[in-house]
Amino acid sequence: MTTVSHDAPAPQAVSMRRILPPVVTGQEIVLLAVLAVLWVLLGIFTPAFLTPGSIGPLLVQVAPIALIGVGMTFVIITAGIDVSVAGMIMVSAVVTARVLVGYDVPAIAAVALAIVIGAALGAINGVLIAYGRVHPIIITFGTSNLFLWLGLRVFDSSTVNGIPGTLEFFGRGAAGSTLGVPHSFAIAVVAVAVAWWFLRYAKAGRNLYAIGGNQHAARLAGIKVQPRLVWVYLTTGALAGLAACMIIATGTSTLDQSVGAGKELQVIAAVVIGGTSILGGRGSVVGTLLGAILVQTVVSGVTQLGWPTQLGFLFVGIFILIAVGTDLIRERARRRA
Amino acid sequence: MTATTTTPADERRAQPPSRVREWLGSGALRDRAVLLLALIIVLIVAMSILDAVGLTSGRFNSDYLASTLIAYVPLALLALAELFVITSGRGGIDLSVGSMVSLTGVVFAMLYQQAGLPLPVSIVLAVLFGALLGAVNGFLTAYLGYPALITTLATFYAYRSIALVVSEQRPISGPEISEFYNAAKSVELPVIGASLPLVPLGVFTFLIPVAIVAWFVLNRTTYGRKLYAIGTNDIAAQWAGIDTRRTRMMAYVTAGAIAGLVGVYTVAQFASARPDAGTSGSGMALPAITIAVLGGVAITGGIGRLSGILLAALLIVWLNASILLVVPGNEGAQAQLLALGVVLLGASLLSNATIRRRQAGAPGRPAVPATASGAPR
Repeated sequence: MTTVSHDAPAPQAVSMRRILPPVVTGQEIVLLAVLAVLWVLLGIFTPAFLTPGSIGPLLVQVAPIALIGVGMTFVIITAGIDVSVAGMIMVSAVVTARVLVGYDVPAIAAVALAIVIGAALGAINGVLIAYGRVHPIIITFGTSNLFLWLGLRVFDSSTVNGIPGTLEFFGRGAAGSTLGVPHSFAIAVVAVAVAWWFLRYAKAGRNLYAIGGNQHAARLAGIKVQPRLVWVYLTTGALAGLAACMIIATGTSTLDQSVGAGKELQVIAAVVIGGTSILGGRGSVVGTLLGAILVQTVVSGVTQLGWPTQLGFLFVGIFILIAVGTDLIRERARRRA
Repeated sequence: MTATTTTPADERRAQPPSRVREWLGSGALRDRAVLLLALIIVLIVAMSILDAVGLTSGRFNSDYLASTLIAYVPLALLALAELFVITSGRGGIDLSVGSMVSLTGVVFAMLYQQAGLPLPVSIVLAVLFGALLGAVNGFLTAYLGYPALITTLATFYAYRSIALVVSEQRPISGPEISEFYNAAKSVELPVIGASLPLVPLGVFTFLIPVAIVAWFVLNRTTYGRKLYAIGTNDIAAQWAGIDTRRTRMMAYVTAGAIAGLVGVYTVAQFASARPDAGTSGSGMALPAITIAVLGGVAITGGIGRLSGILLAALLIVWLNASILLVVPGNEGAQAQLLALGVVLLGASLLSNATIRRRQAGAPGRPAVPATASGAPR
């Protein structure tokens, strides 16, 4: 929430900015700059990087992370967290895949099914967190185990084979993109745009910042905290369901039990790199999108440079620290001002 | 927490905090240890009945229970590491313990197997290396002000990556490490051993010494008192003259050292150093945090006891072992997930309800909703 101009802000302006999230945050500018530098460097050292054949797949992989990242940004803005994302992806993906194999359903029905399953699981998280009044990390650790159990039961100790190409709209192939833009990435961008508008201009969206800033004060100010929280976790689940469709579509015709594993931490990494404060009350979905692109750029870039693939995650860790560090420094400067 | 106006009820509360009185006074803590013990007894009785009726796929007896303790050691130790970190407050949590286990295991194997150092030197160096990894977490969190979730998420990725890269994703094994397997396997105790089941040696060589030291540090030293103080109220602790940064950093260093020891243990347990030992599947950090929470450690800091950790880990290990006897095969492994989730959710929802009831009933204390008392800014 740094000012873009260098003028000393009037007190009134400060209070307004604290209420309304800024159009563009300092974190987003930093991220754009870092991304630009990385892409130029990768373009110089690996000539294949800045080609449509390389950027397209990268954006396809960004899409599910950015999409769930939108929900996770909402969650973290309310000072919560959701570590059950991997479980929700697994349940949505395996049920949808089984239905696709067993029945001749149209793509739209499969997508709707996945979203409904994800939303139902998210609603369980939301109800337990809002009305059980237990810290979200504990609840979602618990439900994560339940969801993984449920997913593995549906897998029934084997893989789901012979998934038809019903969901090719989201896939890597020619049917999965228009004018070179992958549909899944376009959907993620639309979701980010809607969420950006929602957080900034809708009352319900701004309420989320209030809840994250001080839940007790938000309640006293007349915000229906508990329904809002249920809604936020439900949204994350629904988006995880949609992301599960993208993951099915970009995979092979076989779905195995590792689907979704580790995604929860990748999504959280994208959100915090994007400048959303883990303490709640501050954050932006545009930053999350940039954060997701940054994480995937680093991972893909390391592979394309011919370095060990695993080294990419060392850089992801370092980028988390740098991104949050610059945010901490600006936060301190702002408090001194 | 001394009250200025005293009612008869307050007077009792406001007396100098004798530790015994404090422990007895805080009903939830006592409840938690008793609750866990009761659950363990219920489990053993229920399983004994099933065993007698013949519904189990194997014998449920003391030998079986003792043999499962080999999985108890790393779980209890890592939950203890989380106890230190979570109790230090301000959102304290360590997602990187699993990665530290992997990395120190690899480093230990390199020192012991490939560099040929003597065993004690290798172990000490591995634990010190773990402490160094923890110090990175601690420095970033306590001195630079990173939220612990962020720090340890970043180092989770970083340490895991380093472990996989330096080992070239291959497990390290060799004659010396195979020999070292003896440090974890089951043994018959001298003198009284004949009448007792075979207990894995790791319980005596790793868990009990650490547990004794941890109990002493937490309950009998000024450091322990400072740790609970900063976790309860960071600002008050600062005003009381406690170096909160140093105290908090030491909690992360301790967690790193314990993770280093678990790294050595896993090498002994599997007779090879697997670079993904602590991070494969859902990793070791999430179960460790789950056990800590189940054992009564408050995620908001300041509350947590060793007894809860040891009992909670025991409950989960024996519950998992029981499930494998009743539900055979893959379904059993899956049912363990269900059981862990149900127990965690049940325990946390239940204990939260009792805490709120106590707060509502206690005069002179604001009945703060548990969710409103999250990480202090």
